Amino acid sequence: MSPREVTGTAEGEVRHLVPDVETLARRLADVDYLVDEGLATGMFLSLRLPQPLLLEGEAGVGKTEAAKALALVLETPLVRLQCYDGIDAAEALYEWNYPRQLLSIRLADASGERLTEADLFGPDYLIRRPLLRALQHPGPRPAVLLIDEIDRADDDFEAFLLELLAEATVTIPELGTVTATHPPVIVLTSNRTRDLHDAVKRRCLYQWIDYPSPAREVEIIRRRVKGSSQTLAVQVAGAVARMRASDVQKPPGIAEAIDWLAALELLGVERLDAVAIERTLGSVLKYEDDQAALRAAGLEQLVGAGE
Amino acid sequence: MPGGDFSVETVQLDLPALAAAFGRRLRDAGLPVTAERSARLADALALVRPVARRRLYWTARSVLVTDTAQVPAFDAAFRAVFGGRGAPAAPEPEDLRRAPAAPDEREAAQDAGTPPEGPPAGQARSGAAQRRRAGGEDDAERQAAVPVLASAEEVLRGTRFEALDPHELAEVHRLMARLRIATPVRRTRRHDRSRRGDHIDLRRTLRGSMRTGGDAIRLARRRRRVAQRRVVMLLDISGSMEAYARAYLQFLTCAAGSGPRAEAFVFATRLTRLTRALGSRDPQRAIRRAAAAAPDWSSGTRIGDALKAFNDHHGRRGMARGAVIVILSDGWERGDPALVGREMERLARLAYRIVWVNPRAGASRFAPQAGGMAAALGHCDALLSGDSLGALDEVIDAIAAPRGSAAALAARWQGAAPEQDDNEPWASATPVPGSSVAMPSGYGPSRGRTTPGWTT
Repeated sequence: MSPREVTGTAEGEVRHLVPDVETLARRLADVDYLVDEGLATGMFLSLRLPQPLLLEGEAGVGKTEAAKALALVLETPLVRLQCYDGIDAAEALYEWNYPRQLLSIRLADASGERLTEADLFGPDYLIRRPLLRALQHPGPRPAVLLIDEIDRADDDFEAFLLELLAEATVTIPELGTVTATHPPVIVLTSNRTRDLHDAVKRRCLYQWIDYPSPAREVEIIRRRVKGSSQTLAVQVAGAVARMRASDVQKPPGIAEAIDWLAALELLGVERLDAVAIERTLGSVLKYEDDQAALRAAGLEQLVGAGE
Repeated sequence: MPGGDFSVETVQLDLPALAAAFGRRLRDAGLPVTAERSARLADALALVRPVARRRLYWTARSVLVTDTAQVPAFDAAFRAVFGGRGAPAAPEPEDLRRAPAAPDEREAAQDAGTPPEGPPAGQARSGAAQRRRAGGEDDAERQAAVPVLASAEEVLRGTRFEALDPHELAEVHRLMARLRIATPVRRTRRHDRSRRGDHIDLRRTLRGSMRTGGDAIRLARRRRRVAQRRVVMLLDISGSMEAYARAYLQFLTCAAGSGPRAEAFVFATRLTRLTRALGSRDPQRAIRRAAAAAPDWSSGTRIGDALKAFNDHHGRRGMARGAVIVILSDGWERGDPALVGREMERLARLAYRIVWVNPRAGASRFAPQAGGMAAALGHCDALLSGDSLGALDEVIDAIAAPRGSAAALAARWQGAAPEQDDNEPWASATPVPGSSVAMPSGYGPSRGRTTPGWTT
């Protein structure tokens, strides 16, 4: 199987925007998404080969944000499909607008027009769900299609996605095969609740996203919470790192660190201490058991000895 | 491992030759490197033009690795072929545990053509029914041809696994291959057409109305489809379980083979996921691979840590949600029993039912005094011995039982003595130690009390 063909202009546009890995990393940083070399290389290859990109990692490390950042860099819409147990083609791809069809039948009846089945199952009556919207995006650059938490969908849906992942086409029984004019940039995320089928993995590039280093995390959360103080951000990143290292059920992700910093800034906290942590613990730890465990160990320990 | 900033480290390499050697080495290490992926790597290298070893690393890793568990094996192969800091480390068995079999190995397994034994999974509703049918039909020929074997089978069915010699154990494995596991169903969000469904299927109704001038004379209906729940098996392979672990591993293989919604783990001092290793058509090959994947055979037990690892890395993410959990362990805990209780409580909040299989429970003087067992008891929906082939039928029935149903109670003790009266009811249920732990609402009053009574 050769990489799927991209129309000349769209490919030229993408090549112009991301000529190499360094440029992509820089452009991502411009939209406040900081990447390490592994993720930058994976995203670059996904754009340029092109090939769907499968992202895995702990909750809250920025898997979904990666797709959003790509859409910002390409200046194209992000089309998001949130997967869930039992999602099917009618919810992901298309559905027919039944009320409108019924109304048309009535109107045709009243005015004595002849209405054929082909009329009723035409584009006018089609409700376009995310997958179809992404495929039919008019350009000039491809849309970014985020298929979020694919592991929540069932095996049948994975099989349904294969055609889309490999060929950027889908088949609608009433309309025929829809081929993308500009094949979308596809990003899939998974939380590993189950192993994805090999057939899906075979069609994707794979990238595991780790928690960032504390220094990198300070940079990330300060970019996300505008005007936040360096001191507080360093303390938050340190405390979050200690929480991850401790024995909590749900280690806080970058998203929680951002929420926490925003909450502390909003309350006008200047330095992190046990009192400030106690007031805002709910924005970073979402399990009562975890909160109790850290309280028992002493909240002041989270701030660290040197500060 | 490379990572971090974009520093430059120049290398001069004959890439095509090295890439070929690299692909071979990765295949040997169990990564599914296909010709398609190799071709994709060539495309990627042309795009990226790796000026540094680190860039080459990330390019190859993006294209060739399909699971984070493969990364250490990939790193070792990368170091061995392209050099780098330190000597190439031998990949640990852990790294390979989720790597699927090489395609040729799978084909070989299929070509070998394990004869299909027993009816397909969909037909067997419960272990007992399956067993009856097997006895009635499948074995009819065998009984007629070799009556001695049939009676030997009866003996084997009632014999505890620990009392079997290797030859008998092999025979039990063969018989066990017929077992099929079914779980209670749950309603999915998908629909099927049905004449008496609860929902109106607008798409089909409208289609039908075209024939009658736009009047929907007949309403097409649909109803929720049902699907089997996931079953998750956790097998204790520590030293105290040694006599049973091999037989139970075969049982896990049956579970893994009964559908895509089965997961298998083994634990002693650490938790190892075996679902992929067991997913072979050839049970013997699956068991060999599983044995190789878990490095902690016959070591000490840390049930609490293993349960915690399962909850943290798999259960909480969704694997245990609404699933039937089967724990096969004698409950001898070297660690802190309080941890077992805590983690069992977490698991009970996620799972649909928890079935604990304890081979010691078959002994007539059994009492759940082992620290881990006592702590876990309050959170189990059923406790069974499963210490012989016949007793495993009851385990299968318990797995298939719906939550809070009396069917779970019907599973009775299979005593150590096979001549024990099978019809004796186990009505003398005494309060279960540890059942005072508050259960979250919605689980019904029966949870934690569906365990047959104790004799102390």
